[in-house]
Amino acid sequence: MFSFIARRAGAAIGTLFLSSVLVFLAVQALPGDVATQVLGKDATPDAVSALREKLKLDQPAWERYVDWIGGALHGDFGLSLVSGKAVGGEVGMYLGNSALIALVTVLFAVTGSIVLGILAGLYRDRWPDHLISTVSLIGMSVPEFVVATVLVLCFSVALPWFPAVVLYGPEASVGQLMPAVWLPALALAVVMAAYIVRMARTSVIDVMAGEFVTTARLKGLSTWRVVTRHALPSALLPTLHVIALNVAWLAGGVAVVENVFNYPGIGKLMLASVQNRDLPVIQAIALISAVVYVVCNLAADLGAMALNPKLRTRGRTR
Amino acid sequence: MTAIVSVTELSVAYRSGGSGGRDVPVVREVSLDVLPGQTHALVGESGSGKSTVAATLLGHLRHGSRVTGGSVRVGGADVFALPARELRRLRGGTVAMVAQNAGHALTPSMRIGRQIAEAGGDVPVVDLLEQVRLPRPAELARRYPHELSGGQQQRVAIAMAIAARPKVLVLDEPTTGLDVITQRGVLDLIGALRDELGLAAVLVSHDLGVVAHMADEVTVLRSGRVVEAAATGRLFAAPQDPYTRRLLASVPRLDDEGLALVGAAGEREVRPRAVVSGDAPVAVSARDVTIDYGSARAVDGVSFDVRRGEVLALVGESGSGKSTLAWALAGLRTPSGGTMTHAGGDRPSGDTKSGDLRSGDRESGDLARPAGKRPLSLRRRVQLVFQNADTSLNPRRSVGDAVRRPLRFFGTVGSRAEAVDRARQLISDVRLEPALAERLPAQLSGGQRQRIGIARALAGEPDVLIADEITTALDVSVQADVLRLLDDLRRERELACLFISHDLAVVRGLADRVVVLRHGVVVEEGPTDAVFSAPGHPYTRQLMAAVLEPLPGVGPVVDGGENTPPTNRRKPYTQGAP
Repeated sequence: MFSFIARRAGAAIGTLFLSSVLVFLAVQALPGDVATQVLGKDATPDAVSALREKLKLDQPAWERYVDWIGGALHGDFGLSLVSGKAVGGEVGMYLGNSALIALVTVLFAVTGSIVLGILAGLYRDRWPDHLISTVSLIGMSVPEFVVATVLVLCFSVALPWFPAVVLYGPEASVGQLMPAVWLPALALAVVMAAYIVRMARTSVIDVMAGEFVTTARLKGLSTWRVVTRHALPSALLPTLHVIALNVAWLAGGVAVVENVFNYPGIGKLMLASVQNRDLPVIQAIALISAVVYVVCNLAADLGAMALNPKLRTRGRTR
Repeated sequence: MTAIVSVTELSVAYRSGGSGGRDVPVVREVSLDVLPGQTHALVGESGSGKSTVAATLLGHLRHGSRVTGGSVRVGGADVFALPARELRRLRGGTVAMVAQNAGHALTPSMRIGRQIAEAGGDVPVVDLLEQVRLPRPAELARRYPHELSGGQQQRVAIAMAIAARPKVLVLDEPTTGLDVITQRGVLDLIGALRDELGLAAVLVSHDLGVVAHMADEVTVLRSGRVVEAAATGRLFAAPQDPYTRRLLASVPRLDDEGLALVGAAGEREVRPRAVVSGDAPVAVSARDVTIDYGSARAVDGVSFDVRRGEVLALVGESGSGKSTLAWALAGLRTPSGGTMTHAGGDRPSGDTKSGDLRSGDRESGDLARPAGKRPLSLRRRVQLVFQNADTSLNPRRSVGDAVRRPLRFFGTVGSRAEAVDRARQLISDVRLEPALAERLPAQLSGGQRQRIGIARALAGEPDVLIADEITTALDVSVQADVLRLLDDLRRERELACLFISHDLAVVRGLADRVVVLRHGVVVEEGPTDAVFSAPGHPYTRQLMAAVLEPLPGVGPVVDGGENTPPTNRRKPYTQGAP
């Protein structure tokens, strides 16, 4: 059991290391000289070389990588080329705002879609199943910015319940942002839930047709007990990794939706820094996305271990 | 005494293909009564509806099935008229089921102690586990199903069924998939518990030996209809219906001198065993073969020879290493020690008819190498037939295609048209209609699929055929046909055949020599007649005693189960390893 956890954690750290190298190399490979990009074409050669020295561009790449990654481990991602402030603090602020949306989305999408998926599976080929399957198919096929726009039309323009755009900057407090969180979260949840619902439905149908579920029924147990104790652990197993991938997808999905709502989150910061060629910020965001992916998958693996005793008891003898 | 279970003119239909489909009847007007304390057996082959009838006693129908007529009464209650709450009470109390495959019937994510406790009743879990004779019950209760052996899982399923002290026990093929010794143990346990708790039982089985051993009354089903119903002794002594007679005649017996051929009316004729001439060349020879799975030794120093035209049987319970050995010969597993050689040479020397001699055909081949590293000519000549034909054939390719592939691959035929002809020829060689070549595996019956498996193996024109439990998953009459086919083929083609089975009775009529394996070691070896008439090793005797034969006049077990069973007419039943 512990060797399983250790192996998974080791693999996660390895993946993170490789992705940090990739992120760093990708940024290095961007065309043009960073100093010229920042200062513009009309900059004097003196100013350019001064900036190069300041950015340590004259040092070999691997030294800069070690510097960067060493700092990143302590939360120091360097200074923004645009604002001159510490990247760590700035990214952290936007990240916090996005986390608010993500948290609400995950809570709604994951619990909601698992419940809907189970319902659809249990009522296979009857009206609850048809309804849930059709709606989730629509949610899957419509892109998130369309969903977001439709939601704005319905719930901010037609019915003025929620703000259509956010008027606060990144420093806004949670209380100020709270009213603006719901629509973006709903847009993301609709898209995300569709996949989880379909996966949960399929695996519930599979498991409910299984012999051990029949045995449990024939023991005279109530349907509730059969579903929660016997069917669910096995049915959730294949769903776990779909959930993990979808939660990780949020890191990118959030960018589009945040721009629709002008929400001061990480997605908006990413778009702005790409436009401004603010390389340290881009690097930091890319690395954070990688961490989100790896952590989600690690969580799914550990969740699978909790649900599947075969993974836990490996190595024990008969 | 009034019947505790009474099924009256029950009909069940299955609706095929969604809402617009037709009703396909699976059970037609079946009636039966079971008295308290009695065991009633439902016998039939796959598709006879026996499991469907048994499940209705618990008010259970498969998805898409419904009752189209008749009634089922258990303990006075009309099962299909009960409201949901009452039905649950019936399932939890009056009637309980032991499902066919305990490995699938136990919830994998739940400790077995909790699963048993859930079944209700006041008996502590540890007592129940003790009652089904499981060692160290307190520790076992904390385990998960996958940590138990097949026999232990089945005992747990039985413990779960008797937890609420039901009045009726429904046993759906309770020992199918267990090897003979484990089966004997589980049956003895069921018999003892039944007598101890005064249970009525409905036993579903395709195995007439099991039925003869356990039941008081027997109902024979075929295609959902009752063919014959009688007291066990009468049914086995004087079966009335030709189908019952055929079924009974198809069961291999320990005292058959050769392979039994069964006629349409159930007449039984024993064909003398094929004579393998003394100078038949050795086709395969294994010396001191050792195979390891990691640190565990599966096969330990096994030696044997198989000559052309000879059937050598490898017999043993599960875990004895017999399948491992077969897989190693087929090149799917590399032995860690010893030698395995294919003798080469097409026919005995001096025979000039042996037409196409490709290079390498006459040289001896090293079978210790994995299949991928063997020369094509050697791979072609050692072929394996798998236990499960349904999972070893590609479900999306026609069976004709499955036979054509090795033909083209081994270069046995030149053109595409020739391959089509040859495939049809091979399919008719295994006694199937060549027109079946266009079908998909799912459109064939189990026996037909297994024949295709054999045809595919024959496509390479092998001289060594390895048959790994090829009849285990088949119905008894189909098994008889497949055994006969194998016997015909080895006569026609002078095949050296390695026949692997856990069932001594199956081996009896076909094999020329028998090798008995236990824990990877050969415990006994010799000509079939000698081994069967005077088994030397206690383990062989144990295997023989575990075979259940459908003998006339043999009643159900009456003893406690652990003592010598009354069916054992030969050597004393020796208690061996657990």
